[in-house]
Amino acid sequence: MSWDTSPHSPIEIGADTITCEDIWSIAYGAPISIAQERMTEMDDNAQAAAHIPILAAKQHWLTGNPESSAENLAEGFILGHCAGVGEPFAKEIVRAAIAARIKVLSSSISGCRSVVVERLKELLNNDWVPDVPSQGSVGAAGDLAPMAYIARRVCGFDNFQHPDFTPLIPTDKEALSLINGISLSTAIAALAIVRSERVFQAAVWAAGLTMEVVQAQSKCIDSRGLDARNHPEVSEVGTYLRTILDGSKRVLPTNNPDAFSIRAGPSVMGAVWRTIRFARTEVERELNGVSDNPLIFGQDSIETGNFHGATVGMAMDHLKTALTQLATLSERRTFRLTHGKLSNNLPSFLVDGTGLNSGFMLAQYTAAALASEMKGLAHPASVDTIPTVQHHEDHVSMSPIAARMALESLECLADVVAIELLVGAQALDLRFRDDKLAAPSQLQNLHDTIRLSVQFWQDDEVLHPAIRALSDMVRQGIPLP
Amino acid sequence: MEGCISITSISIDGSGLTLTQIEHIANKTCTVHLAKHAREKMLASYAWVQQAGQDNKPVYGVNTGFGSLARVSIPPTQSSALSRNLIRSHAAGVGPIADEPTTRVMMLLRANALAKGVSGCRPLLVEHLLHLLNVNILPKIPMQGSCGSSGDLAPLAHLGLMLIGDPEGEAIVDGQTIDAPSALEQAGLPPIILEAKDGLAITNGAQLSTAIATLNIIEGKRLILAAEVAAAMSMEALLGISRAIHPEVHKMRPYLGAKQCAANLRALTHGSSLLDSVPEKLQDAYSIRCTPQILGSVRDMMRFVEQQVSVEWNSATDNPLILLHVHDLTQNDPDNKAFSAGMFHGEPIGMAMDSFKIAIAEMASLSERRLYRITTGNLSQLLPPGLVGKDRPNIGMMVPQTTAAALVSENKALGWPASLDSIPTCEDQEDHIAMSTVASRRARKVLRNAQRVVAIELLSAYEALRFRLYESTSTTLGVGVQTAVQYLEALLNELPQKSTIGEQIEHIAADIHQGHLLQDMPELISSTQHDMHTQKYGVH
Repeated sequence: MSWDTSPHSPIEIGADTITCEDIWSIAYGAPISIAQERMTEMDDNAQAAAHIPILAAKQHWLTGNPESSAENLAEGFILGHCAGVGEPFAKEIVRAAIAARIKVLSSSISGCRSVVVERLKELLNNDWVPDVPSQGSVGAAGDLAPMAYIARRVCGFDNFQHPDFTPLIPTDKEALSLINGISLSTAIAALAIVRSERVFQAAVWAAGLTMEVVQAQSKCIDSRGLDARNHPEVSEVGTYLRTILDGSKRVLPTNNPDAFSIRAGPSVMGAVWRTIRFARTEVERELNGVSDNPLIFGQDSIETGNFHGATVGMAMDHLKTALTQLATLSERRTFRLTHGKLSNNLPSFLVDGTGLNSGFMLAQYTAAALASEMKGLAHPASVDTIPTVQHHEDHVSMSPIAARMALESLECLADVVAIELLVGAQALDLRFRDDKLAAPSQLQNLHDTIRLSVQFWQDDEVLHPAIRALSDMVRQGIPLP
Repeated sequence: MEGCISITSISIDGSGLTLTQIEHIANKTCTVHLAKHAREKMLASYAWVQQAGQDNKPVYGVNTGFGSLARVSIPPTQSSALSRNLIRSHAAGVGPIADEPTTRVMMLLRANALAKGVSGCRPLLVEHLLHLLNVNILPKIPMQGSCGSSGDLAPLAHLGLMLIGDPEGEAIVDGQTIDAPSALEQAGLPPIILEAKDGLAITNGAQLSTAIATLNIIEGKRLILAAEVAAAMSMEALLGISRAIHPEVHKMRPYLGAKQCAANLRALTHGSSLLDSVPEKLQDAYSIRCTPQILGSVRDMMRFVEQQVSVEWNSATDNPLILLHVHDLTQNDPDNKAFSAGMFHGEPIGMAMDSFKIAIAEMASLSERRLYRITTGNLSQLLPPGLVGKDRPNIGMMVPQTTAAALVSENKALGWPASLDSIPTCEDQEDHIAMSTVASRRARKVLRNAQRVVAIELLSAYEALRFRLYESTSTTLGVGVQTAVQYLEALLNELPQKSTIGEQIEHIAADIHQGHLLQDMPELISSTQHDMHTQKYGVH
């Protein structure tokens, strides 16, 4: 299911920092341009770097083979790294990775000529994006294997043919720079951040909807209590929920405290929100940093470990934990909504004539199965390391695995939240039938939007298309008030 | 395929289904029909359910609601609507669609469970299922959203949508998605008007979990042999020491799997001039020396997993069971033949698949360490660092080792046991669930990653052995290893000249997936064999 179907305006890669949203736009089709002053700087520094025999030195050191033939060094180097396996990545991921690499290489200290980013730009703007296998990178020294497939295309080593296509003839340093960084992990992470924020927003809406229909006690979102927690994000979630529930005739300051999935909602979702923000900071630092090796400062070539993905890997593992909490919390609220004895007198499984009808019984099963699956996906990838390359690359990050698992986790989460919205909307109709109280306007609008794609269930219907319709809505985003 | 017996048609009765038959059905190499005696048994249990309905005898799911709604009674006039509602409301699957072999095996296993004749449903249900299999018109089954208890409800309900010709149901015909009514028409079947108990009979059982598990076992058994071939090749390439696989050694700690693995390594390396060729070396690193202990444990685990899952192939898994032969005088109503139980619970499959995952992940982890040695200059007994040679001028096999490391690491994360989790469902009535479907699906991912790791070891060891042969013309490879090297050479020659190393790995992995490598070497002991084979090759 697509997360984006809208057109995107062009993005310029220049001196300014780029954001996850910029990467998102390029991933989903925005054309790019590169600021002229960047390219001039690149060419100036590349000239200074031209005399450094970087690749041959690396080659010799890696293999102990001084006889590596010089003339096709770059080609052999790039093709030798095309050792990826598994399903190809979705096109938006490859586009995002190309965009992230352009940003890195457009910093003159990579020592590449401007023609490198020009040619990469042409891949994006002409949609000449190669297939890239999704497995095989350990995220140090960079996402070597996947980036090598992009390098192979831009250099024309895969025999790609198009009348307007001019292959890049890379210098040694450029061959190395094309692959020597974690741009793939970073690109996936940038998409994961934007997706996380979308689903997070939908989850706050869902929480508000559930609070309304179970007639939650409003004290748990009182700003005095939440501010005392001393976590700004917890207060922020409280503010969203108060806005969503503003004018509610059902969520009142009664004396019956609710179960944790309701009452502790701001605490849990606040912590999730904080984690997403943290992950965004990490990813955007990475997007705007130079993940390459060696770096060229005038006459100096400096060997670093800037290609190591620990930064993004750990951020993605944190993110997965947060996303899983969001899912388990939402699933427990769905459980309450479908449970005749926990929902404040709504019918079991939210349908009349239960017995003959099973209503939304299975919606909760699906949410439970997905939440459980996310627990497995939350296992941190970055706790592992396996020595590679003759024990020279003896601590690696596994950042692309963490990032891919985050995306997989998000697919599950979007469905979990969609299910809460689905049963919440049904519950709101049933509640209204009972008490004839109008819902607060924000929630009524949400309800009406849901009803455009899924009708109220009088009797059992097929759940699958209903879940699909709402998870599409979650993926496209429901901005918070 | 085991046994290599050619079959054109099988008949099922809920009792004798074998792995070979399942494989035939998965591959569309034979047709399937319902045995006559099974049909009669089904009719008898169906008649009992009909009568119970008419007599207003309370039977779960026949004249009551489902799950926690068993407390609500349903009049007999509505039992058809009850079944129909069950199918429609339970079709709550999401996520990726099951592939063709998985869907076929799921349908076969569901049909066989019903053919046992204790489910109280009509033979018609089974006949329609088998007809769809025989014409290969298959439902579209989303694989996510099942907890594996009470069965794979959502995935099987999607199958149900197809059987009843519901417009919301979807089928796949020749790769195209079409709606269920059109698919039934193409198959020449009328939609089934469900009767009492039919809905439960379709949905109550962990058949998606079991279908994936069964296909995993078929692939896993092939992978074990490929891993042993790879180990034997690496052992020769690294000039290993044969004492670690000596039969007398393995009598002292007689794990069957270790004995079998050591026997296979002996058979594969028989006659090798490379083994024991470095007299000053007393023992090898663990990844060589302990291969029988580690791969042997994988064999032992596989044997357990196959035994466990094979029980499920011939089990009735729905609820309640109609046991006409039981006359239980301790009950208030000894004539009540409906036994409510928990046969649908996916736990046996879930735990088996979690064990499977660990075993397969360990196998790949071991394989990666051997290929690391082969590509590492100071560990490889003087092979060129990274196996850089004439044909691989630049970085040789160093990058594939990184690929293997990434796959092995991914397997560690996937190894987290799915069946360890449970989330209460259905108003707390279904308060401990299996997560077997998640376990099976994740086990498949681990398996596919492991196939690629072993493919990389085969490729690295192949390159290393070529180097050994080039180095000295008097080198003799072991009899099985020699065959494997020739086989791999032919396999790689199938690829175009400028193929990437990734394509070479995938090509070998696809071959492992299909189980061709050394399938004609009768001396090898198959992966889940229960005893030692007659050995042609003993001690070196």
